[in-house]
Amino acid sequence: MTQPILVTKDMPFCPGCGHGVAVKNLAKALEEAGFRPLDVIIVSDIGCAGLVDPILATHTIHGLHGRAPALALGVSLGLSNPGKKVVAIQGDGGATIGLQHLLEAARRNVDMVLIVLNNLLYGMTGGQMSGLSTQAFKAEKHVDDDTPPFDIVRLAHEAGAAGSARISAPGEFKAYFQEALATPGFSLIEVACLCPSHGVKKLKELAEVIPGDLKLSRQRPPARASYRDTGPLFEKGGPLPAPYSSCIRERLGIVIAGSAGGGVQSVARLVANAGIRSGLHATMKGEYPITVGTGFSLAEVILSRNRIHYTGLEAPDVIVAVTEDGMAKARSRVKPNTALVLDSALRDAAFPDALYGNFHKEAGKQGAALAAAASWLIREGLLEREALLEAARGHQHGEALMEVIEKAAGMVRGLPV
Amino acid sequence: MQLIDGSKIITEACVRAGADVYVGYPITPSNWFYAYAQKRFPLFLAGPDEISVLQWMAGFSAAGRLPVTATSFPGLALMVESLNMAHMMELPMLIIVTQRLGPSTGSATTGAQGDLLLLRGAISGGYQIPVFCPSSFEDCWNLAYEAVKTAVNYRTPVVLLTSKEMVMTYRSFDLSGLPEIKKVENAEPEVALPYQSYRAGADGVPPFIPLGDESYQVRLNASTHGRAGLIQKESPEAMANTRRLQDKLEGNISEFTFFELDEEDGAGQLIVSYGISADAARDALAGLRRQGKKVSLLIIKTLLPVPPAILSILERYEKQVFVEENLPGLLRELIYGQARRAHIRSVNKIGSMIAPSEIIKEFAV
Repeated sequence: MTQPILVTKDMPFCPGCGHGVAVKNLAKALEEAGFRPLDVIIVSDIGCAGLVDPILATHTIHGLHGRAPALALGVSLGLSNPGKKVVAIQGDGGATIGLQHLLEAARRNVDMVLIVLNNLLYGMTGGQMSGLSTQAFKAEKHVDDDTPPFDIVRLAHEAGAAGSARISAPGEFKAYFQEALATPGFSLIEVACLCPSHGVKKLKELAEVIPGDLKLSRQRPPARASYRDTGPLFEKGGPLPAPYSSCIRERLGIVIAGSAGGGVQSVARLVANAGIRSGLHATMKGEYPITVGTGFSLAEVILSRNRIHYTGLEAPDVIVAVTEDGMAKARSRVKPNTALVLDSALRDAAFPDALYGNFHKEAGKQGAALAAAASWLIREGLLEREALLEAARGHQHGEALMEVIEKAAGMVRGLPV
Repeated sequence: MQLIDGSKIITEACVRAGADVYVGYPITPSNWFYAYAQKRFPLFLAGPDEISVLQWMAGFSAAGRLPVTATSFPGLALMVESLNMAHMMELPMLIIVTQRLGPSTGSATTGAQGDLLLLRGAISGGYQIPVFCPSSFEDCWNLAYEAVKTAVNYRTPVVLLTSKEMVMTYRSFDLSGLPEIKKVENAEPEVALPYQSYRAGADGVPPFIPLGDESYQVRLNASTHGRAGLIQKESPEAMANTRRLQDKLEGNISEFTFFELDEEDGAGQLIVSYGISADAARDALAGLRRQGKKVSLLIIKTLLPVPPAILSILERYEKQVFVEENLPGLLRELIYGQARRAHIRSVNKIGSMIAPSEIIKEFAV
C-alpha cells in the first residue's frame, strides 16, 4: 500500500489560496508515481510557498528566500541517487530574487523539479509586485508600472531545462507534475495561483491577467555528479638532497624585478629551490598588479641558514632589475647597503656602484631576469651553478632555463669582487 | 625540505580529513585553493556567485557530503545570509577566508587581517561559528584537519581564517614532520526514537542524519524551529533549541582550543598575535630576548568563540601588545572592546606586513 505523502487535509494557507490546490496535486502525483515519503526531499523557500513542510511526510529542508533551487541543486548532486526525488517549491517572489539559481539549475539540467507557485505578488509582506507580476495584473491593481514580467518558462528552456511549463487549470496540475517527476533532469512548472488576501480571487479572473499556458522541452541528459579518486598534491617524503654549498652565512634577501611575461616568478622559485638544494631555508613570494599580463612583476626570495619566520624584506641585500617597469617598482626599496644588478638599458647615475650586464641582449626577454640573478649569485659564490642547473632540471622549460644559466656566468660586468 | 605554499597544504589536509566536495568561485587571493581543489577534490564545482556557492554547499552537506570553499571579503560578504542558514540548520562545512586589504574591493593582491569582527558579528543575534587561524605551515595542515573535525563533530560551519601571505608565499618546508591525517568519520549516530533532526544528546549536538535517509525522516530548517525541524515561533522549545546553538560550541570549546604560548619566567609583558603577523612576533620575541627583555608570546589559533583558556593567559600579564595587520586592532577590540586601557597596546599597520622591528620598537621604553 502506498504511504501517504500528505499527512493532513488541513492546509496551512489562507482559505481559497491556490497553493493548497497545487500541493495536494503534487502529493497525489508523487503517490501515484510510487514514491515513498522518504524517497522525496522537499526544498521549501521563504514566503507562503514555504509553509508546506509540516503537511508532508517527506524529508524537508526549509531555507532562505529565493535560494531553494540552489539548495536543491546541492541536495540533488550530493545524493546523486536517481531513486530519490528532489522537489523545490517557491513563489514568484522567490523566483525573482533567486532567478540566477533557477537559471543555473536549468543550465546544468540538474535532476530536480522546481515548482513556482505564481500568485503574481509577495503575499506575506502585503501584496507587493514581483518580477513575475504581469502588466495586466498591475493595471488592475492600479500599480503605475508597465514593466513586463520575466517569462521564467522560456528563460528556463533557453537555459537548458529538460522541461518547463506554465499551467493555470487545476484539473491539469497532477498530470503536469507527474510528467515533471518522470523527466530526468531539470523540470520547471510555473503554476498560476489565486491569492484571496491580496491578489486574484477567482479562476476566471486569473485567466485574464496571466500569460497563456506553455509547455517546452528538450532532450538532454541530466547532470550527474561523479566523485573521482584523486592522488595527493604532494608526497610527505623526507628532505630533498642538498649536495651543494653556499657561502651565505646567515640570510640573504633578494628582490627580482622585471615585467609580466619575463619569467620573474619562475626565476624566483628556481633560486629558492637552488637554495634548498644548498642546505638553506628559503621563502619566495610574488607581487604583481591584478592584471597579471601587463606591468611590473616583482618577486622576493629569502635564503637563510635558519628557519625563516617573518617573510618580509625590510632591507634587501640585492635588487636584480631587468626592465623599467620592474625598476620603477623596486627603486624605493634600495637601501644604503643594497647591491644593485641592472640591465645595461637601466644605466642610472644615481647608482654609481651598480653592476650592469647586457642581460636582455644576451638572454632575451624571457631569459634576462634569470641571467641577471644567476650570474650575480654564481659570481658572488652564493649559489653554485650546478645547484641552479639542478633546480631548473624539473621545470617545464628546463632546457631553455639551463641554457641561460650555462651562459650567464660572466654576464655581470663591474668591479671584480 | 621542499618549496611549497599554504594553499596546497590546506587543500591536501582537507581532502585527507574527508572533505569531498569543493564549490568554488574564483577570487584573489584565494584562487590557488580553487586550482588545487580542481585537481584534488573528488568533486569540484564552479559556482556562478558566492551566494550560490554557499547554498550548493549547504545542499551537499545536508545530503551527507563535506563541502569546502575558499573566498575573500567580497565573497564572504555575499555568503553571510547563507552562513546564517548553515549555522541554523547545523550543517558541517568549511569556509576558508583569505584576507586581503579592504575596505570594499580594496587591493586583491595585498594581504591583511581585517575580517575578524565581521566573522564575530556575522550571525544575527551574536551567535558564533568556530574560527581557526593558521600561523605557520604546520598550522595549515593541523588546523585544516581540526576544522573539518570540528565541523563534523559539532554540526557547524567552520571558518579557516588565513591571509594572502599565508597561502600565496612559498616556503621551504619539511613535510615529513607532519602528522598523518585520519579521515574524520561521522560516528554512527545514536538515535533516540522517534528521530528528530534537532534533538540533541548530552553534548548539545544532535546526531546528524542526512536528507534522503531510508529509515528516518529528516527535517532541516533555517527559520526558528523546534526539535523536529519544523517552524515554531518563540515557543519555549524553539528558544531552547536556539540557545543550544551557542551552548554546544561554548560548552565544548576545550575540545577545539588551539594556541601557542612561549612563556618566559617572570615576564610581565606579553605579545599577542595571530595569523600572518605571528611570524613577525616570533622574530620580535627572539630579538627582545637577545636584548635581555623578559617577554612572552601568545599566538591565538582558535579566534572564535574566544576560549576561556586564552582569557586566563591574558589575565596573567599586565602589559599586552596586540600585533595585527589592520588599523583599529580587531583582536584587541574583540577581547577588550573599545575602552582605552593604558597597558593594552597595539602594533597595527595596513598595506604591508608588520615587521619584527616595528614590534620591538613598542618595547623600547
